[in-house]
Amino acid sequence: MRHLRWLLVPILVVPLGWLLFTGFGRDPREVASPLIGQPAPEWTLSTLDGDLLSTDDLAGRPYVVNFWASWCIPACVDEHPVLAAAHDRHGDAMTMVGVLYQDTTADAEAFLARYGDAGYPHLVDPDGRLAIDFGVTGPPETFFVDADGIIRDKQFGPLTDALMDERLASIGFDR
Amino acid sequence: MPLIPGIGHTAVLVGLGLTVYAVTAFVLAARSADPRLAASGRRAVIGSFGAAAVGCAAMMISLLTHDFSVLYVAENNASTTPAFISAISLWAALEGSILFWTLLATGWAALVLHRHRDRHRALMTWVGATLATVNAFFFAVMVWPGNPFTLTSPVTAEGSGPNALLQNHPFMALHPPLLYLGYTGLAVPFAFGVAALITKRLDEEWLRIVRRWTLIPWIFLTLGITAGAWWSYEVLGWGGYWAWDPVENAALLPWLTATAFIHSSMVAERRGGLRIWSSALVIATFVLTLVGTFLTRSGVVASVHSFTQSSIGPWFLTAILIALAGALTLLVWRLPELIGGGRPSGTVSRESAFLLNNVLFLGLTFAVLFGTLLPLLVAATSGDTISVGAPWFNTVTVPMFIALLFLMGVGPALPWGTAGWVTVRERFTIPLLAAVLVTAAALAVGLRSWGPLGTLGLAVFVAGIMVDEVVRGARARARSRDEDPATAVWRLTTRNRRRYGGYTVHVGVLVMAVAVAISSGLAIDRTVTVSPGETATIGAYEITHRRLVVEPLEFDAQVIETRAELTYSGPQSGELGTALRDYPNSPTAIATPAVRTSLGEDLYVTLLASDPATGAVTLHLFVNPFVVWIWIGGAIVGIGSAFAIWPERHARRVEVEQRQAMGAASAEGA
Amino acid sequence: MRRLLPAVALGGLLALLAVGLVFALRPGVEPSAAERADALARELRCPDCQGLSVADSPTRSAQEIRRQISSLVAGGAGDEEVRGHFVARYGEWILLAPSSPAYWVIPFAVVAAAAAGLVAWLARRRPAVADSVVISDEQRRSLHDEVEALDA
Repeated sequence: MRHLRWLLVPILVVPLGWLLFTGFGRDPREVASPLIGQPAPEWTLSTLDGDLLSTDDLAGRPYVVNFWASWCIPACVDEHPVLAAAHDRHGDAMTMVGVLYQDTTADAEAFLARYGDAGYPHLVDPDGRLAIDFGVTGPPETFFVDADGIIRDKQFGPLTDALMDERLASIGFDR
Repeated sequence: MPLIPGIGHTAVLVGLGLTVYAVTAFVLAARSADPRLAASGRRAVIGSFGAAAVGCAAMMISLLTHDFSVLYVAENNASTTPAFISAISLWAALEGSILFWTLLATGWAALVLHRHRDRHRALMTWVGATLATVNAFFFAVMVWPGNPFTLTSPVTAEGSGPNALLQNHPFMALHPPLLYLGYTGLAVPFAFGVAALITKRLDEEWLRIVRRWTLIPWIFLTLGITAGAWWSYEVLGWGGYWAWDPVENAALLPWLTATAFIHSSMVAERRGGLRIWSSALVIATFVLTLVGTFLTRSGVVASVHSFTQSSIGPWFLTAILIALAGALTLLVWRLPELIGGGRPSGTVSRESAFLLNNVLFLGLTFAVLFGTLLPLLVAATSGDTISVGAPWFNTVTVPMFIALLFLMGVGPALPWGTAGWVTVRERFTIPLLAAVLVTAAALAVGLRSWGPLGTLGLAVFVAGIMVDEVVRGARARARSRDEDPATAVWRLTTRNRRRYGGYTVHVGVLVMAVAVAISSGLAIDRTVTVSPGETATIGAYEITHRRLVVEPLEFDAQVIETRAELTYSGPQSGELGTALRDYPNSPTAIATPAVRTSLGEDLYVTLLASDPATGAVTLHLFVNPFVVWIWIGGAIVGIGSAFAIWPERHARRVEVEQRQAMGAASAEGA
Repeated sequence: MRRLLPAVALGGLLALLAVGLVFALRPGVEPSAAERADALARELRCPDCQGLSVADSPTRSAQEIRRQISSLVAGGAGDEEVRGHFVARYGEWILLAPSSPAYWVIPFAVVAAAAAGLVAWLARRRPAVADSVVISDEQRRSLHDEVEALDA
């Protein structure tokens, strides 16, 4: 009975160790999105080219919404070719849409000139209202919407080719 | 390998070797009771301090000479970085911080072992072993996961420059050193605790030593936390000074348990006992410093200090678990021998007030730790993300702080032992009356916010009790020693430095409490957009926008400053410039708010946005009353605590007088 | 007169507390739309800052959220509705304080339990020795003062 006091050591140490350990490998800034499984927000916004684009134009096809900024270095630079490749590969079956996050059109155009313009439209979100509707906390964040307009997956942080394939699978694209 | 970084890295390796040797020497010395082994260990510890110093010097030279072959310099320095900023970049990021930390930690170890080299040999051997183990860990971190002298390849021609937030204000030079001195120093009481548990020396002598070695780093920690709050107030631009950010909490946690220990040690000294509690507190304080560093640097929680994520997380976690498990095992092992031993006291007494104070401090520690770790816990168990921010922390901690303020008054008024209601009535009546009168007067004058009102009343109550203490003590002294009142007060306070230093600390705390209550309860702010020539008002101030200037900084041409130049009039008048600075390596502009401080209030202006075409600016204006008194209060706490531990000269004088008197008496008698 | 002082002091304290209670409990003025918007802004977290509320934050997203709060409030939305609007987009994370009441109660419960434990511990160890020497309150007081004056 008097040796029961030794239990104090594991009782205090193990839970603390477990709790602090679970933090590893997780990005503390990542926020679990409540939008998965919900209808994607609807919008009508101008693109960098000056045209008007809305969710009505995208209806019936899956689409990918990627929030980025010219100042988001190196993450947005790293994922830029991944996005371009996905657009090239699947562009006939899905729509890729970029959204500027707290950026100026001049800086965005310079970024595209430098790193390559894959040809998909980029929305200008002047007040950041679309970013708020999507619950974006900082670029890059990418949302994957299926043909019925339901958000099926979200990528927090830059995409890699592997992650892109994984996320695209959720909206119907085989690997 | 280039010369200077090579020397630095070698110094770190030497430091690791010396500390490992020291641990071995001390452990063997304890086994064999050989004083030469202990002396050798002590010299090795002093040597490790030298090694850390060489390492810091090497890094400092690399920074000042913009040596971009060192990765740390390439990431935190640029060729245009001014010398002052280069120098303080030693602690700008992780690897340099650990180097600086190790310097201070080995410094404390060397100091403690040197001062106590001739006394308490059995105890000091284990103190040395523990401190050397802790320092060996830090050297090991610098050899493997966090090498400050990692080289770049290829060597870049230009560095990234220091983090923008860290070069905006001279306090960057003040806050980390003070804070680290506090943090690293708290390993010393821990080492004494471990040593006492091993040697079974938890007696009054031990208590006296440990309290002193807790108070000294405690002073630095207090000043460091206050400086951090002041710095973030001056720099971050949101007008506040404490956001309950995880790293602010990380600094606060060991401070809370250390303060609890300082108080409970007084009870332990008086009545004996509380040995388990004392050991547990010094262990908890040190473990919390490690937890704090872990939270700050591991990237497990996001915070203002998340400047770098790093791979040292697992190392620190392992250290935390080993330190906690090891020390706890020792405590549990000795538990049967440590139970009891104190003289009991009444339910209403100074002891019980002090112990209730401990309950509250530990309650605060639990609350702050709970709030900081809760998001982690929820994420681990359910995958949800929640926030625990200022509203929660304020609601939970403020009542506990108020209760502590009340105890701060009650404790000194109660006698040791047992208090009868007569004493309570006697001690509390006048202070309570004074508090009621002052609060009523404040109400009458127009102060309606209950936060400042309540705090003010409480502060007057506590201050009244302290004044009463001084008056009573001086009166008793004047009566028994035939001194005039002024001399009595002077001699009373200067000859009881521990008590009256402690009261001074409490006065500082009161000043801070009232200042915090008033500045948060009565602050006003508004956001306005003005064109050149237009005037905005806030409170009693009128602010006129003169012009918008966009130009590079004088002392660092790479930084572009967008500055609104304003004139202001009111309780203070003059000109100010509030700016946004664009640093080359930062995506967003850094706010450089303008603060005009007076004893009554601060005028605080942040530039939110500007239109270069029209010169119009959007400003966030604040009038924050009494903020400067928070920093003044912090200084009073520092002065009071230094006074409390300053060695008393009168003890020696009394001894001399006694010897002289005895000599005279024996001469007469002979 | 002196003997009445404690009663006066206590009475004054109770009077102040009563005044405070009356002021706190009286049916207050309805907070204006601006005040409601401000209070809500203090509860919501700025999405791209480190733990600041949207009220305190200068970032563009914080300013936009404040605009949305104002227009929602002006449009007649209740406080819960406004919170729900943002929780639907960001999740519970956007609220600076967790909504579950358990998290608020736990710290107080811990302190209360610890305080109760302390009182029980002290009561168990109460000195059982009765005073063998009877001295008057006057003597006790002056003795106490002198001891205190000489003590550290």
